[in-house]
Amino acid sequence: MSTTVAAPVATQTPADAPVFSVDGLWKVFGPKAERVPADPELAALSPAELRQRTGCNAAVRDVSFDVRKGEVFVVMGLSGSGKSTLVRCLTRLIEPTYGKIAIEGEDVLGMDKSRLRELRRRRAAMVFQHFGLLPHRSVLDNVAYGLEIQGVGKAERRAKAEEVVAKVGLEGMEQRRPGQLSGGQQQRVGLARALAVDPEVLLFDEPFSALDPLIRRDMQEEVIRLHREEGRTMVFITHDLNEALRLGDRIALMRDGRIVQLGTPEEIVGSPADDYVREFVRDVPREQVMTVRTAMRPAAADEAGHGPAVAPEATVSEAIEAVARSGCPARVMDDGRCVGVVDSEALLEVVAGTGEHGEGQVDEPGRPAAPAPGEGVA
Amino acid sequence: MATASAPVPHTGIAGLIRGLQRRPAVGKLLLLAVVAAVLVPIVHARWASGAWPDALTVDLSGPLGSASEWIIDNRDSHPLFLYFFGHISNAVTLSVRAVYLALLAVGWAGVTAAAGLIAWRVAGVRLALTTAVAFLVCGLLGMWVPTMQTLALMVVAVVASVVLGALLGLAAGLSDRMYRALRPVLDTMQVLPAFAYLLPVVLVFGIGVPAAVLATVVYAAPPMARLTALGLRGADEGVMEAVDSLGATARQRLLTARLPLARKELLLGLNQTIMMALSMAVIASVIGAGGLGDRVYQALASVDVGAALAAGIPIVLLAVVLDRTTGAAGERIGASEPDQGALPGGRGWTAAAAVTVVVALAGRFADRLEWPDAWTVAIAEPVNNAVGWMTDHLYTGVPLVGGTADWAGHFTTWVLDPVRDGLQWLPWWSVLLIVAALAWLIGTWRTALTAVLAMAAIGVLGVWKPSLDTLSQVLAAVAVTLVLGVATGIAAARSARVDRMLRPVLDVFQTMPQFVYLIPVVALFGVGRAPAVAAAVVYALPAVVRITAQGLRQVDPGALESARSLGATSGQQLRQVQLPLARSALLLAVNQGVVLVLAVVIIGGLVGGGALGYDVVFGLAQGDLATGLVAGAAIVCLGLMLDRVTQPTERHAKKGA
Repeated sequence: MSTTVAAPVATQTPADAPVFSVDGLWKVFGPKAERVPADPELAALSPAELRQRTGCNAAVRDVSFDVRKGEVFVVMGLSGSGKSTLVRCLTRLIEPTYGKIAIEGEDVLGMDKSRLRELRRRRAAMVFQHFGLLPHRSVLDNVAYGLEIQGVGKAERRAKAEEVVAKVGLEGMEQRRPGQLSGGQQQRVGLARALAVDPEVLLFDEPFSALDPLIRRDMQEEVIRLHREEGRTMVFITHDLNEALRLGDRIALMRDGRIVQLGTPEEIVGSPADDYVREFVRDVPREQVMTVRTAMRPAAADEAGHGPAVAPEATVSEAIEAVARSGCPARVMDDGRCVGVVDSEALLEVVAGTGEHGEGQVDEPGRPAAPAPGEGVA
Repeated sequence: MATASAPVPHTGIAGLIRGLQRRPAVGKLLLLAVVAAVLVPIVHARWASGAWPDALTVDLSGPLGSASEWIIDNRDSHPLFLYFFGHISNAVTLSVRAVYLALLAVGWAGVTAAAGLIAWRVAGVRLALTTAVAFLVCGLLGMWVPTMQTLALMVVAVVASVVLGALLGLAAGLSDRMYRALRPVLDTMQVLPAFAYLLPVVLVFGIGVPAAVLATVVYAAPPMARLTALGLRGADEGVMEAVDSLGATARQRLLTARLPLARKELLLGLNQTIMMALSMAVIASVIGAGGLGDRVYQALASVDVGAALAAGIPIVLLAVVLDRTTGAAGERIGASEPDQGALPGGRGWTAAAAVTVVVALAGRFADRLEWPDAWTVAIAEPVNNAVGWMTDHLYTGVPLVGGTADWAGHFTTWVLDPVRDGLQWLPWWSVLLIVAALAWLIGTWRTALTAVLAMAAIGVLGVWKPSLDTLSQVLAAVAVTLVLGVATGIAAARSARVDRMLRPVLDVFQTMPQFVYLIPVVALFGVGRAPAVAAAVVYALPAVVRITAQGLRQVDPGALESARSLGATSGQQLRQVQLPLARSALLLAVNQGVVLVLAVVIIGGLVGGGALGYDVVFGLAQGDLATGLVAGAAIVCLGLMLDRVTQPTERHAKKGA
């Protein structure tokens, strides 16, 4: 598809250093863990064989990816897939066994203690699944805690904390204790604490898994809103596919410590890399993830002139609506130019998952997809 | 355990092997039997005697006696004493003296006001009133000065214990190696009877206040250390990780997260330390602590129950007030509520301090620092009359039920004597075998080994016979305690009403120092072994009841519901679901019962319990430290053995005894 569609996308210039660049990362737990990545034979073993042979557990296996500035990078996988270990390796809360991590070009694994502390204090802040709030402090003091650790004066950090508390919608609860808040509110405190230190990148470790479905949705929207307002880079860990599709600009799907597929939501859903991924995304409502760009075909000469117009980034479900209303194929208009058409047949193929559109399409890496109507594209 | 698994009929050798695999307990016993079959004939051929053979004992009285004499001779001249123990001793004496004088200088009104206001700040109005009334009652009973002596000793001992315990706990909480090294020591120290601590300190410091304070510190510091370590180690990993992720330094981690997160455990540690310090400060009267304990001790020595009670009531009041106040402080902190008192934070404390100063000054100007003699109520006389009446009418010859002394006599004749004679009749190696079998069945081979070694050590020390005497009292008391305690515990677990009625009683009984239990039993049963056993039963009962009831109540409600849905009667539910599922709690109850009973049976030496406790008291009274030290060591071994024999595989958090 990429060869046929050359949409100008400008969110990424090659000169930008990625916020996080991870290369060949390993984390092995167990005795003499460092020999596993070093030995190609051991490295090739399956998890069960490795455990049997060495007593080691490889949580992260040879993982490489870049997190670009301003994107929401989702790492998703089932429990035990190593995603939580991976995100902890980024700031060395868990010391990686092998590999390279760079933050804006600076080697993380080579940092000394004070440099690492500086990284954790100002550059990357984390939001945890179980919130990790200090129960004996008020909401305000919890939010200000990161600044307190940095040595910011009391008045200044309180002022900053109040500002962030308002931003996450917790006004009026500043003096409560975490124990008096609901789960959603507690996670807002966790989020506020991370935001208060104004980090370059926010790391989320399954932040909403412990919340009720409705509250989870609220919090996801909160994150989408924050991302839209501030454009902060985010690395988001989740085991919930819908959450990944809603939030992620790009998704890395992990299994047994490896990344089995890395791509936009559309790529993951439209062209699963293997049977595991295919099984994983089987129940996803494809018409809400796939865009018209993947479903369209070149316009015949007589089709370019009439019919409803849709944007290339519009979802298939939007196109279905347009086609159903007008009764004729829709034109895909990009910058006032007709780049193709979608007819009901092509759209139905997407919904049914029978079309060949899925294979090997969109590979412009930086293009943010539009997984959900709410998110929109700049 | 073998008894718990369903009986399966086996036939033939294959069945036997399969049965053994299914029941490790039988396997353990068989292995022990094989070992015994090999060793016993050899041992029996060489040292054929019922009691521990003389050839295997090591007489320590000679070396210990000369050591104690050397210490007494050199106490004033040897540099070790001059520059180390001497300084400690002086510092302790001075600080106790200083606190005592300060308490007297503030006067009774000032002390009462201060105590009440502190209670108000940390625990609220009701406890403040209770505290003030408790102090006034101490005065009314004519016990103001002894109360202040005990309090002064307590203050110094508690401060020292808390500092020492917190430092040890900090080390153990932050370093794994330290924790591994300290934990068994602290665990063991907590199961040892208070009496075992007295003699070593007397050996070094002589009888007097320094020895009493140091014995108290050694006895009371372990719970603080344990709970500090536990609290620091138990900090929520998620919170600690979040703190790490924000880039906290090690210092910030400790001060802003780990310590505050452990506040509840720290306060619980403080509470247990205070309670154990009070318990020990009272017992330490036998090594010169003075104060309330001394009054009780003197009164008991002359079987003056009235005087003992007059000193015992203030002890109980102190215990209740101290326990409730520190306990309430812990709960308040645990509630995670911001301080919302009438006068929040610092202002309240300032007000309390101001009121105290005003009251103290008023007392001073009114020249009313000492408790006025006219305001005392002498209860000794009427109590003694009542006891006298009881002796006359209830001791013996009451129709149908007999009298209390008759009961004690019967208990001694029909239970204590046969058990003691039976134990002493048993060949010594069979005692070791029984200990090994029990310990191995309940615990692991490690606990079994420790238990057997401890028991053998008793024999080696040459106190086999008195130790078995003590053991017989312990066994009898434990049996009674368990029957009563488990029955009551079941009742409390099954009926909310019984539970509600029992709770305040248990609360009070669990806070009282061991020593005061001797007073009522002497009044009821006179002196001898039976009263010692009775005191032990009363002391251990609350813990057993509580653990049993808690264990039964925590049984998985799902299992109980499914049993009910199958139509089980309540008896079936109890026998087939609740009791089996509460097995670990029941074992813990046995363990606690044994440990607590031992502590009081030993103290029973003061009221005619004889055996090891008497040896300690005798050693102290006669200045024969060697005898006392050997008995003390035997007590340690006995405590170790009993704890290990009843120790379930995993240890639970326990109440401080």
